[in-house]
Amino acid sequence: MKRRVAEVFLLCCAVVLLMGADTKEARFQRLGGKIMCSCGCAEMLLQCNHVGCPNSDRMIRELHALTGTTGGVPGAGDSSKIASLKPIDDDEKVLQWFRETWGVSAVVEPATHGFELLAWIIPYAALAIGLLIVFGIILFWHLRRLPAPPPPDPHTASLRSRVRQETEL
Amino acid sequence: MAFLGSFCLLFALALAAFCLLAGIAAALSKNDQLRLAECARRAGIATFVAVSGAGFALMWAALSNDFSVAYILHHSNRELPTPYKLAALWSGQEGSLLFWSWLLSCYGFVLRLRHRVDRRLVANTSTILAAIQVFFLILVSFVANPFGIASPVPADGNGLNPLLQYPEMVIHPPMLYLGYVGFSVPFAFALAALMMRYPGEKWIHITRRWTMVTWLFLTCGITLGAHWAYAVLGWGGYWGWDPVENASFFPWLTGTAFLHSVMMQEKRGMMKMWNLWLIFITFMLCILGTMLTRAGLVSSVHAFAQSSIGPWFVTFLVIVFLVCLTAFAVVLVRNPDFLASENQLQSVVSRESSFLFNNLMLLALTVAIVCGTLWPLLSEAVVHYKVAFRVPYFNKVTIPTGLFLIFLTAVGPLLAWGSTSLASIKRNFVVPTALSGLVGGALLANSMRPWMGAAHVRSWFASLQLSQFYSWMALILSTLVLATVASEFLRGGRVLREKLNTNLVSAMYHLSRRNMRRYGGYIAHIGFAVVVIGLAGLPFNREQEQEMAMGETLKIGHYSLVSQGSTQDDLPNYRSQATMLDVYKDGSFLTRLNPAVFVYKASEQPDHKVAIHHGLLEDLYVIYAGGNPERPTIKAFVNPLVSFVWLGVFILVFGTSLALVPNAVKATVPTTAVTVAAGGERGSWQPAGVRK
Repeated sequence: MKRRVAEVFLLCCAVVLLMGADTKEARFQRLGGKIMCSCGCAEMLLQCNHVGCPNSDRMIRELHALTGTTGGVPGAGDSSKIASLKPIDDDEKVLQWFRETWGVSAVVEPATHGFELLAWIIPYAALAIGLLIVFGIILFWHLRRLPAPPPPDPHTASLRSRVRQETEL
Repeated sequence: MAFLGSFCLLFALALAAFCLLAGIAAALSKNDQLRLAECARRAGIATFVAVSGAGFALMWAALSNDFSVAYILHHSNRELPTPYKLAALWSGQEGSLLFWSWLLSCYGFVLRLRHRVDRRLVANTSTILAAIQVFFLILVSFVANPFGIASPVPADGNGLNPLLQYPEMVIHPPMLYLGYVGFSVPFAFALAALMMRYPGEKWIHITRRWTMVTWLFLTCGITLGAHWAYAVLGWGGYWGWDPVENASFFPWLTGTAFLHSVMMQEKRGMMKMWNLWLIFITFMLCILGTMLTRAGLVSSVHAFAQSSIGPWFVTFLVIVFLVCLTAFAVVLVRNPDFLASENQLQSVVSRESSFLFNNLMLLALTVAIVCGTLWPLLSEAVVHYKVAFRVPYFNKVTIPTGLFLIFLTAVGPLLAWGSTSLASIKRNFVVPTALSGLVGGALLANSMRPWMGAAHVRSWFASLQLSQFYSWMALILSTLVLATVASEFLRGGRVLREKLNTNLVSAMYHLSRRNMRRYGGYIAHIGFAVVVIGLAGLPFNREQEQEMAMGETLKIGHYSLVSQGSTQDDLPNYRSQATMLDVYKDGSFLTRLNPAVFVYKASEQPDHKVAIHHGLLEDLYVIYAGGNPERPTIKAFVNPLVSFVWLGVFILVFGTSLALVPNAVKATVPTTAVTVAAGGERGSWQPAGVRK
């Protein structure tokens, strides 16, 4: 039985790990979902496809170049500059490149370093602290010894059972 | 009218200030100053009349096109339809603050009329409400006065923001404000009860209905806002984690936590400190929400006002926090038993612990959303540039916690107070767990194909994205919630069926009528599960954009949209341009949609009128995105399960409303038995004054 449980656990771990593996195209899509179009439309880069957008075509071509994928609107932006871009393996460096080129508000997720790292930490830290407090409270209540309750009065017990019966259902 | 309005506001301020001072004097007096307290109460009632006078003056100015009032000049025009002229009352900052003040005076009016429920407690509560009222009246009298005079007076006004010219916008802000302002009442009760060390849980019994009604208004307000965003803003979604949307969500989350945790205090005398702080925080979040909406501190598509009232709100928030903290500290030092828990947790697997975790999850969600929403302010203060986070961040920090919350919604109601035996867990959970497992398996077996398209799915795990995994989990957990609630109804119904000798449906009806609060709550849980099913459709949204001349076809999913040409119109308030699209589903004609763009003459601002074909399983959502009138750009979305969101909220509201209805059958206990609680009413097991 224990072996079976261990097998199931390992299978689950493998599935979760496989979920992280992605292709270049998947990486392009994933990073495109973390970058804002800088034209002011408040859309994420790959979702901003409105006609006449001055920035999204060029940004998409740059993202293609930086992730080593092909695609985008030919001729959008300065082709020689975009052609000179080398693929970058580190996602965070790609995002950093967009921050530096298009401004800090170009990225829709906090960075995983520096001050912005706090934005990732605070929600989970709050949850962890809350969990600790809840477990602390449970432990405190569990360990606290209250005086033993008086023996139940048969009359009160029968009344309580009647009240429960009549009020619960 | 401007003179009358300004006079009414100043008079109201004087009355509210008198109510506050007289209330404080009566409360501090060692002799029972009943006359002074009564004076304060009547001044509070008169405040309502005076603020109503100011509201009437502004409405009259709007209806009579009095553009000498600057506020009316900026938010209305002659051709504006009458309902939108009324909506102008809350469409700008000054008007909405007056509206806030008026709603507060309404709540205060009702409270002061119902003072017999407990004169002393209501008197102190009324004093605290008067303090809040004074703050808002100072704002509208001196900082954001809606009765400023325009000079010279133009012939016509600037008109209402086109985005606000939509029927739901007439009722969405009042609903939201009823929710925001309504939390002032339970807050005032809690603070008053703490300050006067009010014994027992009576303040919670009194405020239960106030809190539920307020929460209901806030729920309706948020939903109407989401529906407005869906039908008007034309981006294909209904929730974009926009700062103003988030602002309305903060107090909803903590208010939900409060509604659950007060049950611990009512039934077991536990979590007294927690409940106090929960309602304090909820009120402060309401003020924060109003500030974010009205002061324009963070940029948002919904923030229709920009101003410098932020420091006023920050000061008020700091004062509120300090007052709460001081009152709490004094009680904790002088009378620690007042806040001590009367019972202890007997088991981790119990209803109590499920409430604890439920509260924790709701609070964690609040912290995450507050953090993300206020980050631009924080980053500007610390690193001197603004960074605003968007949808992916909020999804990442909220969805896992949200999923655990759905799990607790499923599990909590089946756990017993005190402790739950293993046998009971097995008995109650086997069928619901098997059902939800079955649904999960069926979705896997079908690769969730109905919305992904077979071409994209070779094997489910290979194409698995985290958002789709979350969606799958959400569907399983929603099934678990529905199954556990159904099992509760069935279990109780079966018992009552034998007792009343009736059929199962009738038995379940009688069951609900005997304990409306409990079974209304279960129905609200069903509504929540249905909303989650609707949200689970989000990762499967699809969109397509195309320039379409007459006769051209746009294909998306099962749908083909064929252009039948464009049309133009010119009305007094706006010019419009629309395209006619015949919609075919799998080759059969379904309907005709007419997406349009309106240009409002007063402001020359364009506004897109979205065309939506609603279906239970999916919506077809079409926008006229602009371009050449002969060959306009059409953007189409297929949004699965959106209808479940609206349906779920309807069930949620229905369930909560049922929980407000008194029980049909009362416990029949001999009066001789009612000696268990000191101060208990004759014929009742509840403490004195508590309404069943």
